[in-house]
Amino acid sequence: MIRALFVAGALLQLAALAAETTPPPVSEPVNPPADTNALLEGKLPEAPARALVQAKCLFCHTGEYVTMQRLTEKQWQGTVEKMRKFGAPVNDEEAKAMVAYLAQYWKPDLPPQRPVLVPPPPGSVPRK
Amino acid sequence: MTLDRRRFLQSSLATAGAATWWLNVPSFAAAKGSPELIRRTERPLNYESVRSTFTTRITPVERFYLRNHFDVPRIDVPKWRLNVHGLVEKPLSISLADLQRMPQVTIEAVLQCAGNGRGLFRPQVPGVQWQYGAMGSAEWTGVRLKDVLALARPKQDAAFLQYQGAERPTMNTTPQFIRAIPVQKAMHADTLVALKMNGKPLLPDRGQPARLVVPGWVGDDWVRYLADMELRADEPNTFYYNPGYRFPVTPGPPGAPVPADQMKPMTKVNVKSLLGSLSDGDRLRAGTHELVGVAFSGEAGIDHVDLSLDGGKTWTAAKLDGPATPYGFRVFRHSWKAEAGTHEIACRATDANGATQPEVPVWNPGGYLNNAIDRVRVEVQS
Repeated sequence: MIRALFVAGALLQLAALAAETTPPPVSEPVNPPADTNALLEGKLPEAPARALVQAKCLFCHTGEYVTMQRLTEKQWQGTVEKMRKFGAPVNDEEAKAMVAYLAQYWKPDLPPQRPVLVPPPPGSVPRK
Repeated sequence: MTLDRRRFLQSSLATAGAATWWLNVPSFAAAKGSPELIRRTERPLNYESVRSTFTTRITPVERFYLRNHFDVPRIDVPKWRLNVHGLVEKPLSISLADLQRMPQVTIEAVLQCAGNGRGLFRPQVPGVQWQYGAMGSAEWTGVRLKDVLALARPKQDAAFLQYQGAERPTMNTTPQFIRAIPVQKAMHADTLVALKMNGKPLLPDRGQPARLVVPGWVGDDWVRYLADMELRADEPNTFYYNPGYRFPVTPGPPGAPVPADQMKPMTKVNVKSLLGSLSDGDRLRAGTHELVGVAFSGEAGIDHVDLSLDGGKTWTAAKLDGPATPYGFRVFRHSWKAEAGTHEIACRATDANGATQPEVPVWNPGGYLNNAIDRVRVEVQS
């Protein structure tokens, strides 16, 4: 019995070590689950890659450009690559983390973003 | 007795008991008070019109959509110049005052983003997720582009006009927004360097001081804050012309990739109609309602619009308002005696060339030219 417990403990330790040294595949959820309502309101869930998205994407455009998309992982990869070609300063490792983050939350089965009704921007309407 | 929705709303609100029920209808909320747009992105400015906008031939400026790739440039109008160069005998640099002194013409035409309806494609495609309102029709006033080009005297081998506005991307590594049209379209009598929209000088976000108006063609050709034009023998090879803004030569199944050499630049807008007086999910009282919407088609003009009140099983011709217009909105209307129940209303336009709208969007990788039959589901309560 003691020997069996020892073997099981060793296996658990090995599994834990493997989890620490082997990065999870991109397609596996690596970020915490998000509140769907918050996603539909255009919020970026708290996760390590959130800061990357804020720093690397929101330099040129607001977050809605991200949060209105409903894309597959392959489409997110293509989008991030396109932005890198446009000059977004994103290295390979950062791109991988960003794609995992984006593909986990803004995926095809997420309902469309809720419309936000606002007054027209001041430069687009006649002055009163 | 015919009651339109707004009048019916007003009369309903007069009875306090009905107020809460009606306020749940989103399109009614948009129709009240000052105009509102649906914000797709705050930066750059990408705002779409609400569906209830589309009941008039001319779209008011304040209800007109906005589409930008980059931040709006701030232009010192007195110092602004439009430069014309390339395959010309006499390169040109002209001011707003020069353009204002030239003969002015007014053209009524629909401006529609090629991606209008992108958000309705399945499978989804990346890009601004426009639904119904990235379009509008206005009266554009300005100088014929051919008159401007004539001053520069284009050479015989000029085949394309390449142009861009004053806007620039945030990062200088991002491609600039450069477009081109064939010289034949540039020299068409209805293609304008517009200085006014609906009778007033262009506003800062609307292309001040000058924008291109390419009637019947997709909105990406209608460059604003016009600054530079180059006549050239070949097509440009810049991102927003190639591979950007292209449509498959032969569309394939939804979701299937299309090789780059099988994509071509978009030109004419295809035939389309939209119901403006009702939105999906609206709840109405039984009785007579006027169904109103708009239809348009590239350079062809509208021949007729059919409406279905039973989800597409049967169709009936709608009445068309006003004179025909080759490029503008044609308003259609139909008196509907609504009975209690759930109804799917659909509209389908046919243009003067016989082209009509498909049942489902023609899927393409860019999510362009969605002109599927418009459908709204409403609930009528007795």
